[in-house]
Amino acid sequence: MVKMTMIARVTDGLPLAEGLDDGRDLIDAEMYKQQVKALFKNLSKGQNEASRMSVETGPYVFHYIIEGRVCYLTMCDRAYPKKLAFQYLEDLRNEFERVNGAQIETAARPYAFIKFDTFIQKTKKLYQDTRTQRNIAKLNDELYEVHQIMTRNVQEVLGVGEKLDQVSQMSSRLTSESRVYADKARDLNRQALIRKWAPVAIVLGVVFLLFWVKSKLW
Amino acid sequence: MGTENPGRPNFPMRPSSTPFASALPTMTPFSSRGPMVGSEASNIRPIPPGAPPTMTPFSSAGSSPPTRFSDPSVPSPPITSVPSAGGPFQQYPTPPFPSTVQTTPTRAPPVGQPPFQPPANQISAPPVSFRPQSQVPPVPMVSAPQTVNFPPSSLNVPQPPSESLFSGPRPNFQPTLPPPDLSYSTTKSTFQPPFPAYPSKQPAVSQVPSPFPAQQGSFMPPPPASSSPFSSQQGSYVPPPPIAAPLGYQSRDQMQHPGSAPPIGGIQTLTEDFSSLSLASMPGSIEPGLDYRTLPRPLDGDVEPSSFVEMYPMNCDPRYLRLTTSAIPNSQSLVSRWHLPLGAVVCPLAEAPEGEEVPVINFASTGIIRCRRCRTYVNPYVTFTDAGRKWRCNICSLLNDVPGEYFANLDATGRRIDLDQRPELIKGSVEFVAPTEYMVRPPMPPLYFFLIDVSISAVRSGMIEVVAQTVRSCLDELPGFPRTQIGFITFDSTIHFYNMKSSLMQPQMMVVSDLDDIFVPLPDDLLVNLSESRNVVETFLDSLPSMFQDNVNVESAFGPALKAAFMVMSQLGGKLLIFQNTLPSLGVGRLKLRGDDLRVYGTDKEHILRLPEDPFYKQMAADLTKYQIGVNVYAFSDKYTDIASLGTLAKYTGGQVYYYPSFQSGIHGEKLRHELARDLTRETAWEAVMRIRCGKGIRFTSYHGNFMLRSTDLLALPAVDCDKAYAMQLSLEETLLTTQTVYFQVALLYTASCGERRIRVHTAAAAIVTDLGEMYRQADTGAIVSLFCRLAIEKTLTNKLDDARNSLQVRIVKALREYRNLYAVQHRLGARMIYPESLKFLCLYGLALSKSVPLKGGYADAQLDERCAAGFTMMALPVKKLLKLLYPSLIRIDESLLKPSAQADDFKNIMKRLPLVAESLDSRGLYIYDDGFRFIIWFGRMLSPDIAGNLLGPDFAAELSRVTLHQHDNEMSRRLMGMLKKLRESDPSYYQLSYLVRQGEQPREGLLLLVNLLEDQMGGTSGYVDWIMQIHRQVQQNA
Repeated sequence: MVKMTMIARVTDGLPLAEGLDDGRDLIDAEMYKQQVKALFKNLSKGQNEASRMSVETGPYVFHYIIEGRVCYLTMCDRAYPKKLAFQYLEDLRNEFERVNGAQIETAARPYAFIKFDTFIQKTKKLYQDTRTQRNIAKLNDELYEVHQIMTRNVQEVLGVGEKLDQVSQMSSRLTSESRVYADKARDLNRQALIRKWAPVAIVLGVVFLLFWVKSKLW
Repeated sequence: MGTENPGRPNFPMRPSSTPFASALPTMTPFSSRGPMVGSEASNIRPIPPGAPPTMTPFSSAGSSPPTRFSDPSVPSPPITSVPSAGGPFQQYPTPPFPSTVQTTPTRAPPVGQPPFQPPANQISAPPVSFRPQSQVPPVPMVSAPQTVNFPPSSLNVPQPPSESLFSGPRPNFQPTLPPPDLSYSTTKSTFQPPFPAYPSKQPAVSQVPSPFPAQQGSFMPPPPASSSPFSSQQGSYVPPPPIAAPLGYQSRDQMQHPGSAPPIGGIQTLTEDFSSLSLASMPGSIEPGLDYRTLPRPLDGDVEPSSFVEMYPMNCDPRYLRLTTSAIPNSQSLVSRWHLPLGAVVCPLAEAPEGEEVPVINFASTGIIRCRRCRTYVNPYVTFTDAGRKWRCNICSLLNDVPGEYFANLDATGRRIDLDQRPELIKGSVEFVAPTEYMVRPPMPPLYFFLIDVSISAVRSGMIEVVAQTVRSCLDELPGFPRTQIGFITFDSTIHFYNMKSSLMQPQMMVVSDLDDIFVPLPDDLLVNLSESRNVVETFLDSLPSMFQDNVNVESAFGPALKAAFMVMSQLGGKLLIFQNTLPSLGVGRLKLRGDDLRVYGTDKEHILRLPEDPFYKQMAADLTKYQIGVNVYAFSDKYTDIASLGTLAKYTGGQVYYYPSFQSGIHGEKLRHELARDLTRETAWEAVMRIRCGKGIRFTSYHGNFMLRSTDLLALPAVDCDKAYAMQLSLEETLLTTQTVYFQVALLYTASCGERRIRVHTAAAAIVTDLGEMYRQADTGAIVSLFCRLAIEKTLTNKLDDARNSLQVRIVKALREYRNLYAVQHRLGARMIYPESLKFLCLYGLALSKSVPLKGGYADAQLDERCAAGFTMMALPVKKLLKLLYPSLIRIDESLLKPSAQADDFKNIMKRLPLVAESLDSRGLYIYDDGFRFIIWFGRMLSPDIAGNLLGPDFAAELSRVTLHQHDNEMSRRLMGMLKKLRESDPSYYQLSYLVRQGEQPREGLLLLVNLLEDQMGGTSGYVDWIMQIHRQVQQNA
């Protein structure tokens, strides 16, 4: 079952359209929407992501495709056939590009194509039930290959950015700490030098002193 | 005062002589003179020695433009000099005066004394402005006029106020005037010549016509006909036309004073400060010396205060935001002396005339520029510094960085060079396109859901049919195509859902009869996209009336049906329209009859009748608001339906209540059709929240209107439109404000029907003052009355009606007393009542308010439902509409109907409003009474049968309650209908249904019209004159 549908521009993560009454009967709708937004943000950072991907999150899966710098994303049950989900997204993409193709780059405000929600809602209903004749036919159709689409975990995906951050953080910590280490090493070196020669110097000093005293006294 | 004439004889040169002119009604031209008047007045001072000072009414003449007065020098001065010496006056034979005098009661004393010696004081006094003339004193104005020529009827005729004033100085006049004429004769015509003269002299002085506050004499009754303008004492009201009058008054006043004679100079300043009414009885007269004709009346309708925009030209238009006074007090102590409400009335979406639409600005990637600390939006009052790299917030004065994309260099004067491309830096009202941070979800589509009662009474009244037809005819105009969503539920003792899936041919009805455990039978398709299911929706609406035409169910499961609607809508929010015809009788939220117990009235339990009986309604309203659902309640019953409870739903969801008592589709159908269509098609803002910010040191503390408060200062408005206004009061947080100016910013975040999320921002500045007088000068009666109205209605929910009315009166009295104290010492005021020019209508509106439906009388004066419905309505009305409702217009139209080819151009002339007193009604006339919600057309008993026949067709002799007005095939009827249409177009938010009534047709006439003539005394309530006397008395007590 399709739970939620969102369309966003990849270049800056600007949401363009969203399904009507999405998130109904969904307990954690807000949380999932946050995840989707984070995902869009990741995409807009320009990391080279595959143009088709499935991302698991809790009991659901996000499926998305990126075409023409627009990301079409839907959230389904895990049990929902992957094939149908991508068919659904393809349908949306075709219609969206047909209707709004020219204005996608110039849209300046969020949800500039919110009117598309009626189409989303209509299409969603077609895909709601996996056992309709129409959907079964699609499932059996081997034309559309979904096997090679990668499946990853949402933590992993959202984590990529996080890990990079961590690495750079660690490396910067490394440089600053190694600098400290160098300073300290130099310091130690000097101390070691002093420690090494100090007794000799003291002994010599005492000897000379004795000599001097001796020559004075006598 | 005008009556004073007596004084005349002496007139010294002063132009004052003019006063006499007053006699000449003809002189309409005066208006221009106005200014002069002021000056003269000062001069006048004549004092009848003996005369009781009481009479002194100060004319406020100057009032309008205070400034003028201030420079006394202004126009008038010259004039004065002119004055032929007393000579002219002499001409006036004293004798005439006497006669006049008689009319004018008190004055007598002065009369005789021709030569008024100006009291020495006066002379000396004449500082500035006054010329020597001042001495002229005695010139009593026009007293003569008294000739009671005016028959009330005459009143109707708009007359130029004959301000005696004119008489003016010119010597010339004197000759012209045959003394006799002057005095009383109507033939004032002679005078006219002189007037012209005046104008020339005083050309500059254009006066503000209208409102002369009370000054006595000054107001002439409009009707020119009666030449003698002045009614005895005070003048009559001035007709809207410009009034020269002021001069006249003053003079009179002064004259009277003589004895008391404040220094002339003082008077002048005085005149600039306030208006006054002379209330003392004249010597020899028993009646209080107050002539109803001179009392101030808002016959020009609401006048928006100009100072608001003049002082700060970048302020938003007053149609969006009005402050009760544009001078904000700087200290707590000042606030405590200002007994009127201190606050604002906001109508964020007011309809703007063509060409003044609010500009829409999209910052796109820059993001909206706001202050970091107080979150104020960038506005014309922020200042840029540091070569344009920083801007200082005008509200909290924090220095903010200018984002790179928004940077622009400053020119030599410190203004941004791109100013003309930045509407948000020039205009007080702008709209920003909101970025994603301002959305918790994608913009919702416009959504209309109908909850329709189909029990037997609804079927019988024809309501269902009208509703179905209207909705169907509006389908094309619903905003937000193609996203608009629509849905229906009907109910009687069961709840009927309709599946309107687009693939169906016909809607499917599903009946749920389990009222205790409501469930929604279908997950989808109860709420459908209109453009897709258009055919099904149309089929449904076509068949709805016939589906239930044989329904005999008398029950109403309103509560459960409401819950069901809530469940269907809660995903999206939107607008819920409830059509309710009976008292809810089944399931949760059932109500019982109450309010028919006479004994409850006047006890402490009285107010409970006006509160929702069942907490279900308030709880439901809270839930609805939370899910962005706004409720409009349409109630139709002829029996008690507990509007107090049902209305609660509208009150807390930012909706409104429409009430059609005893609805019959034949009679009220048109009204319902129009109002429902307006409700469905007007531009609506969805899922909105509003906040008003203001500068440091002050804070908005209470909010009044129909909304739900989400946090301490955030108003949640699920659906809001141009017909809704909100009021708020502010208080000082710090004991002393040190800044010069304070700023207000109203921000409304909403979703437009087209699916854009926007922020509408109105910014205004006001000066901070240290002087109470300045606060009074800048007061805005409309906003004050609007706040008073809301406070009083709220008070009726916790107290008795009586208490609410009393507290209103007490506040007015306190305010006037404070004002009086401000000036009493300085200028001996005697028995005059004084009030600031800006508040001259306050008393009248106060009276109107206490006679308005929600507040008037007791048990028998208004049905409980009517009272509550009017209360809910008035809580949301914008200022202009409220004032119109409080002081409706009364217009005589038979003459214009008879006039050949009266065309649109003189539509304005025809629409001359008359005071709301029975005397305005002439039995030979035809009148329209228009309060913005209905027209009452009154046929005089002696109206020519011709007119009645033409307008009413063959049934003109029938009982008018059964006749409806429709167009007949003759010129007169067409013209009347055209006139009504124009009136309706000027005010489209409600439809004014015409009620016809014939004079003497009881009790209909009494109920419809007479009870609404609010200046008259009606069964236990005071008339305007009594009211003024009462207020005046209280002001003086422990003053």
